[in-house]
Amino acid sequence: MDGPDRAQERLQARAPEMELIREAQKGSRVAFDALVRQYENQVLRLALHLTGSEHDAEDIYQEAFLKAFRYIGNFRFECSFYTWIYRIVTNLCLDQLRRRKTRREDSAVLVDHSGDEIDLLASVSDNRSYSSPDRELDRKVLGERIQAALGKLTPRERMVFELKHYQGLRLRTIGEMLNTTEETAKNTLFRATKKLRLQLAGLR
Amino acid sequence: MNCEVAHERIVLAAYGELADDLVHELGRHLTTCAECCADREQLQALKTLAAVHSVIEPNANLVARSRMQLEEALDAIPPKRWYERFGEGLLNHFARLQAAPVAAGLLLVAGIGAGSVGGFEFSQARAAHAAGKTSQVVASDSPVAAIPASPADVASISSIVQQPNSEMVEVRYNQVVPKRIQGSLDDPAIRQLLMMASEDPASAGIRDDSVGLLAAECRAGHSCNGAGIRDALMVALRYDRNEGVREKALKGLELYVAEDMRVRDAVLEALLNDSDARIRTEAINILEPVEADMTVRQVLSTVATSDQNPQIRNVSRQVLRRVPQFQ
Repeated sequence: MDGPDRAQERLQARAPEMELIREAQKGSRVAFDALVRQYENQVLRLALHLTGSEHDAEDIYQEAFLKAFRYIGNFRFECSFYTWIYRIVTNLCLDQLRRRKTRREDSAVLVDHSGDEIDLLASVSDNRSYSSPDRELDRKVLGERIQAALGKLTPRERMVFELKHYQGLRLRTIGEMLNTTEETAKNTLFRATKKLRLQLAGLR
Repeated sequence: MNCEVAHERIVLAAYGELADDLVHELGRHLTTCAECCADREQLQALKTLAAVHSVIEPNANLVARSRMQLEEALDAIPPKRWYERFGEGLLNHFARLQAAPVAAGLLLVAGIGAGSVGGFEFSQARAAHAAGKTSQVVASDSPVAAIPASPADVASISSIVQQPNSEMVEVRYNQVVPKRIQGSLDDPAIRQLLMMASEDPASAGIRDDSVGLLAAECRAGHSCNGAGIRDALMVALRYDRNEGVREKALKGLELYVAEDMRVRDAVLEALLNDSDARIRTEAINILEPVEADMTVRQVLSTVATSDQNPQIRNVSRQVLRRVPQFQ
């Protein structure tokens, strides 16, 4: 549990950021640019992993920071700026996932800006236990199965699993970002892992 | 503990979200329940499998492209009008009141009081109207001003009062009055204004002029230590979008790179991250007096191997060859 000292330390660590936010609220573009630089990698990483497309990730990045710029005046320091910007990004990603759900299944490859396909699995090292030569499935097929299984989750389950499993966030923070409770986030994670286990049962 | 609860707790434990005492309780259950043990193994297998679809870092091109597009989009957004800022302030104020029940209660009491007075005034006005009289209320201790030419002339609205049973409204506002100040570059007031101008988001020209003057003061050694001038130059070097402004800021910091570690860090950041090759080259030249510093050498080594510009890589290698290695 966090003590008052920890809370005080966190507050002190956030002081320069709070100053930047206040400046940005007064209209300082320099301060807003500094905030963008602080969070842009995390925003792109999340959007890229969720959508699997550089083009979509760019769109989400742009829309998220434009929204942040327009509404930064409404930021009231009730949560961290990190939570606030992630809330915007997760909402945009959820919209994108919902749109995609109605259009097509997730592809197993990542699409770059020029439309060329990038093999996601090529960037993963091959020294894992499941890549034993005894297995019939090679890593590419395995990756496709995992992506397909992730694609069968509801957008919300996909998001909670992404934020917990890949981004390593606390369930309480995930609840805050998705405008829900920690308990609901927990149940959603539970459902997501259950579905994924069923989907991937044959691969073990 | 039954198996249904155990299944939930297995997921929470796998993701480090289960309290220590519950982890022990779960461990005891798992020693006696084969089904739950199998469930835990399944989850571990899922975690291993999911690692195949790992998170990849966005590449530098994607980051740069996204940032550039965002900057263009932000430049296209007109600055907020006074009434937009006023509206936001008002909304935030009400939101704060929502979170403060005592203040909200006081506001309610004040509202009831104002309503009663308003009702009384309204009935008085109706009675007067019925008697065929016209009434005019003038309650102003300040002169009535002409309507402002542009909303940008208005700094803030201090009050809005509508006359009861009437369309007449009295709006009190504060106006922005343009002023001019003349003085030496050593004058603290002038310097303060120049530092404000160095962060002007609307005009790169203003930022360029102000940073140029502040940098010249620093180069001339005119008390660049106080009043945050050095800090202003470091902020401009790190964050300004205009390369001309960043270059001037860098030149202004040249004299202090040896004595001030913060300046050295800012110059090293520019060498590593600045998008403009001229500024990166200039940063290498400026770092010459401290090129034997271990951090500087490390950054130069990084630049010598990974900078996209071959000329910068060459210059970095030359500098590194010139300085003897630390043992």
